[in-house]
Amino acid sequence: MDLPAGTRNFSYAEDMAIFRTRTHWVLLVALLVVLFTAPLYLANYWLSVANLIGITIVAVTGLNLLTGYCGQLSIGHAGFIAVGAYTSAILNSRFGVPFPLALISAGVMSGLLGMVFGIPSLRVKGFYLAISTIAAQFIILWVIKHWTGMTGGFNGMSVPYMSIGNLTLRSEGNQFYLIMVVVVAVVFLAKNIARTRVGRAFIAIRDNDLAAEVMGINLFRYKLLAFFIGCFFAGIAGSLWAHWMRFIDADGFPFTSSILYIGMIIIGGLGTAVGPIFGAIFIRLLEERVLHLSGFTAGVAPMVFGAVIILFLIFEPRGLAHRWALFKSAYRLWPFSY
Amino acid sequence: MAELLQLVITGITVGMVYALIALGFVLVWKSSGVANLALGQLVLISSWFSYAMLDPQEANLPVWLGLPLVVLFALVMGWVIERIILRPLIAQPILSLITVTLGVAFFLEGLVTFVWPKSEAPMPHLFPQESISIGTASVSYESLWTVIIALILFGLLSLYFKYHRMGIAMRATADDQLAVQACGVPVTRIFSGSWMLACVLAAIGGFLISSIGGGINPGLMETGLRAFSVVILGGLDSFLGAIVAGPLIGLAENIGGYYLTPLTWQGVKYVIPFIIIIIVMFVRPYGLFGEKRIERI
Repeated sequence: MDLPAGTRNFSYAEDMAIFRTRTHWVLLVALLVVLFTAPLYLANYWLSVANLIGITIVAVTGLNLLTGYCGQLSIGHAGFIAVGAYTSAILNSRFGVPFPLALISAGVMSGLLGMVFGIPSLRVKGFYLAISTIAAQFIILWVIKHWTGMTGGFNGMSVPYMSIGNLTLRSEGNQFYLIMVVVVAVVFLAKNIARTRVGRAFIAIRDNDLAAEVMGINLFRYKLLAFFIGCFFAGIAGSLWAHWMRFIDADGFPFTSSILYIGMIIIGGLGTAVGPIFGAIFIRLLEERVLHLSGFTAGVAPMVFGAVIILFLIFEPRGLAHRWALFKSAYRLWPFSY
Repeated sequence: MAELLQLVITGITVGMVYALIALGFVLVWKSSGVANLALGQLVLISSWFSYAMLDPQEANLPVWLGLPLVVLFALVMGWVIERIILRPLIAQPILSLITVTLGVAFFLEGLVTFVWPKSEAPMPHLFPQESISIGTASVSYESLWTVIIALILFGLLSLYFKYHRMGIAMRATADDQLAVQACGVPVTRIFSGSWMLACVLAAIGGFLISSIGGGINPGLMETGLRAFSVVILGGLDSFLGAIVAGPLIGLAENIGGYYLTPLTWQGVKYVIPFIIIIIVMFVRPYGLFGEKRIERI
């Protein structure tokens, strides 16, 4: 933990605190205030961009726990997001389940399915796992496309607004509040999962699963747990996505967006708490800007994304989170950087 | 029974092409340990390039000039990808190596849509359109030629690996990279060689499958992805496995697709390879002919 000069820890609680100094707390409060007053002064367009970024952060945080912390590469994340989106949409619109409950069920459903497709991870890793998650994505999308009775098939299905009790969130601004509450909760949860026994077990598995097992970590349990948590967040993101877009179809969750999610955690920084936030903001803003600047010419956006992923892997494999850490320590040590 | 024979023939033809594409993967995996997930996009872009070279409305080159140009394009593409993108990442963790090929995949896909904005195009036919009949089934000359070309390529490749200096060096690299380096073999040249060969195989595979499949369409990308099921079923590090598993996957896809469609939904044909992947993962992760790693985790 980087602390300013002169700040020392005298208790375990102090040592473990995420927000250690008064400056940390001031910055946190300032961030939350800025975040939750944003709808008052942001234009509708930027609010919708912010909502998209928020939903993406939720999804990518899940992927980061699975891939960044536990080292289980998943290239089918869009498939699990789709499961969440459809579960929530079907429960909410066909069976009248209230939205908050549908949100949680979407997460659980995705998580359980993720566990099923995660079972091969007990015997295989690396490339094999990547392929089996790709297969998972294609199987899931095929089922969604053809189970017309439930999902509407190729025609897609329309989804009601998000609502809590009698309160229906119609405007971007209102949805922004809900999405940001979820984002803050998910990021906080992920940060804390990574600091507990579970998170340390994940890291041990990532670094050397053989050694981890010898040390008494139950691989079966923890790998499946990683898949459950990662896909749970994906399901939550899917549910938010469905109720925010208010229309879903199977083409909304292509294989390329799975690649993009992987790209986001690479660009943000694998296995860091802030990585998914940086990655999601970077890619989504890039998407907005590139699409506008290129006048929506087909093909430019994927080319830019591909190039960005490649360049980051070659020149900055530790991602933006590493740059952020460098910036923080430079700020802390200024003007005596040695 | 008539349908069955027809399905068997189609299955073997398609499977041969899968096997060709999969061989390109195995080649790169064995020599450099890079998992090339951009297979589908390599297939796609080289099919479009051959369309641009051969189609009457595009460059309209004669076949004797067009096809060598396609092969040359594939060689250059393979060299560029290896030299610029994968060379700096030597000895990086497998996660980076897999992700960087995903980046390549993304880039190539964008490039294809950028250069050729239309999503479908006809593939010029090289072979006569007639077909000969075997019993009740009919075999088009095109599929016959596809199988023959695939078999010739398999033969050439196995000769290459057996007798050519470079081929032997590639096998040696796959076996023990350090020892090969100690013997003075330039390993980086082996890497670019394997990528160039893989791209050529993907180009030929793409050309064949789009000429028997009735043109170029975005589905070619998934063809490349389905070739992964061949790799997985055959075993990741086995040439023989790819050659055997290719037709097996083709057969399963076509026969299974025909008989399962009434029981399930349309398009079950195209997910069968993916279902096979999952099954193989559960039952026999190292594939039919792959090297069995004894590692308890």
